[in-house]
Amino acid sequence: MEKKTFQLFHSDVEPLTQWQNLGEADFAPATEQEKVSMVEEHKSVSYWKDAWRRFRANRVSMVSLFVFILLLLFAFVGPSFIAYSYEEQYREAAKLFPFEKTEAQEAAEALLAEGADGVLVTNLLPGSQTYLKKGNYYITARNGKTIAFNLPKSKEKIILVLESEKTPALWYVDQKAYLSGTYEKTEIETTDAPAENAAELKLTTSFFPHIFGTDSAGRDLLARCMYGTRVSLIIGIVAALIVLVIGSIYGAISGLAGGAVDFVMMRIVELIYSVPDVLIVLLLQVVLKEPLQKWFDASQGGIVKAMSDLGVGVVSIFITFALLYWVGMARIVRGQVLMLKKQEYVTAARALGVPGGRIVKRHLIPNCVGQLVITTCLQIPSAIFLESFLSFLGMGVSAPMASLGSLCSDALDVLQNYPYRMLCPAIILTILVLSLNLVGDGIRDALDPRLKK
Amino acid sequence: MTLYVLKRIVAAFFTLVLIATITFFLMNAIPGSPFMTDKSTPEQIAKANAKYGLDQPLPVQWWRYMTNYLRGDMGVSLKMQEGTEVTKILFGQGKFELSIRVGLWALLLAIVLGIPLGCIAAYNRGKAVDSVLRVLTTFGVAVPSFVFATLLLLIFAVHLKWLPVLSNSLETPASYVMPVLSLALYPSCYIAKLTRTSMLDAINQDYIRTARAKGLKTRRIIFKHALRNSLIPVITYLGPLAASIVTGGFVVETTFSIPGLGKYFISSILNRDYPVIMGTTVVLAALIVIMNLVVDIAYKIVDPRITLTAKED
Repeated sequence: MEKKTFQLFHSDVEPLTQWQNLGEADFAPATEQEKVSMVEEHKSVSYWKDAWRRFRANRVSMVSLFVFILLLLFAFVGPSFIAYSYEEQYREAAKLFPFEKTEAQEAAEALLAEGADGVLVTNLLPGSQTYLKKGNYYITARNGKTIAFNLPKSKEKIILVLESEKTPALWYVDQKAYLSGTYEKTEIETTDAPAENAAELKLTTSFFPHIFGTDSAGRDLLARCMYGTRVSLIIGIVAALIVLVIGSIYGAISGLAGGAVDFVMMRIVELIYSVPDVLIVLLLQVVLKEPLQKWFDASQGGIVKAMSDLGVGVVSIFITFALLYWVGMARIVRGQVLMLKKQEYVTAARALGVPGGRIVKRHLIPNCVGQLVITTCLQIPSAIFLESFLSFLGMGVSAPMASLGSLCSDALDVLQNYPYRMLCPAIILTILVLSLNLVGDGIRDALDPRLKK
Repeated sequence: MTLYVLKRIVAAFFTLVLIATITFFLMNAIPGSPFMTDKSTPEQIAKANAKYGLDQPLPVQWWRYMTNYLRGDMGVSLKMQEGTEVTKILFGQGKFELSIRVGLWALLLAIVLGIPLGCIAAYNRGKAVDSVLRVLTTFGVAVPSFVFATLLLLIFAVHLKWLPVLSNSLETPASYVMPVLSLALYPSCYIAKLTRTSMLDAINQDYIRTARAKGLKTRRIIFKHALRNSLIPVITYLGPLAASIVTGGFVVETTFSIPGLGKYFISSILNRDYPVIMGTTVVLAALIVIMNLVVDIAYKIVDPRITLTAKED
């Protein structure tokens, strides 16, 4: 009876119980080949490799990672593919619908179609100027020849046309007259040698479309959306890093120290936690603006320069995060440290006399990293969310700087007539937040499968 | 229990004092005086400061604010409606009522929509319905409220012209639709996600197996036995929910031009009307803090497994 149960549960052990039957051959040393085949192949897989494998298996997070990378390209590489910058104003081209052309552009395109080498439309130049100032200019034609000329009087709203193969080679036409159909070419005398103070003029051979249209100040919306995405991303990432640094240091100290220190530190966290953040954030935005501006104007360090480039609104968002939003991170890190402190391997290390710093470095940090990465990743979309919220209420980023939130806010007043101005940044913002959230969820599931919901 | 409740009330009170203090010092850190305009002379500013006691040292001003608040006196507006009592501005002109009306409807909608959706998703786990709901709720959590609000505005007010563009004072039922919907979007999706997760947790419990062994119908098990216990995490979310509705109120009131508390708060900050900033902050913060307090107490009543005297961690 007893033997039967034994066999039932340990059937693979059975040959050993028949040890009496072993022959002499069974005691021969194993050959090299046999030895190799006995070792089971277990390639050691590192934590990160394992996580990456799990992440790749998750289709939703892979797709959102792809979308996120596309958005990164859109924000950081995209601007070099379009002809407009986020802050240049094209006065004549204000309030255009997507792909809509101005009259001046249509006229110029007609001239180009008639065989002009290049044109210059004075009122499609960036800035508020719609005229060509008097003075000396030169143009480098397509065949390499330099064509220089002098403009004795400034000319408003003209189209300058170069036809290098014909005579007259250089002439201009009044834009209004051309559009009404009755135009006459006004010839400009040219020379080969430019005068000393001559300015170079670049002629246009084709017009880059305003793909998303333009805003009320004549700024290209696509360029602004790209720039806004970049600003929003930078804000999200920097804010998450700030939270990571402050939160994890605070939480780690609190968890490691324990006792009275821990108690006091956690009461502080609880207090900050219970403060309704948005009320204080709104106040902070207004409070910080002027002192920051003063500080930026007064000092000239490398970091201060970089910060003043970002603008007061953005920096005050960072400060807000540094002041209020680290508490969640601190709680998580403290919880992790407390849990890890009680693990047997830490006790063992301590019993072996390993110094505290080494325990932190070898045991606590590597085991916390997953949780830190997860929390930081999920912090990015929430920072972007908060920034867009503030900018929407008119308290974050201010023009000519753009963030996705401020673009939406600018578009709110003209929503009825120009809905696309709201739609473009709003859709980008939604996709950005959504993809980051899904990537964050994927990273959480990959790094810590226990948390999977 | 009584001790616990008392302790929580005292803590909530101190939180409010802290918030009022932070607000007080923050708004005094805003550069410039509320009376500074292009035309005003230093003498005029000094006179106005003296009139409203702004020339006294900060701690004295702070103490005056605190003691007056305990008496229910929130001071008078310095700028936006000069001389009017703040309590009258907030409560007497319908601002608070407007915000509360929209907020409560949104709260109700979020609960009424979120919990059943979560149950349905859990009930159909892994099926098409679950996937559709998951996509919808994920979107709902990711879409910023102002984007959703303006989309609604664009579609239903501008294009289809079914609903009014400006909600103003919410005189007609139609003017409620968009503000309430956009305010309820995030919380209802969040609640749906939360309910689904906790419902799935509850389904794996022993008592569900017992109910199943007794031969009860799945529907009855889910909606009676599992639902009751999976509502506990939803209750804990009601605190943050109140905060999110207050926050969302700022955006919604701006978008639909509702003259409520949120809109007024933002213009009071921009106008540096100290007593109004203080008053609005304290009222809104009190809403959130009291909601948290109620939730904390309700939580312990609903779930007896949590010992009342144990210190929370």
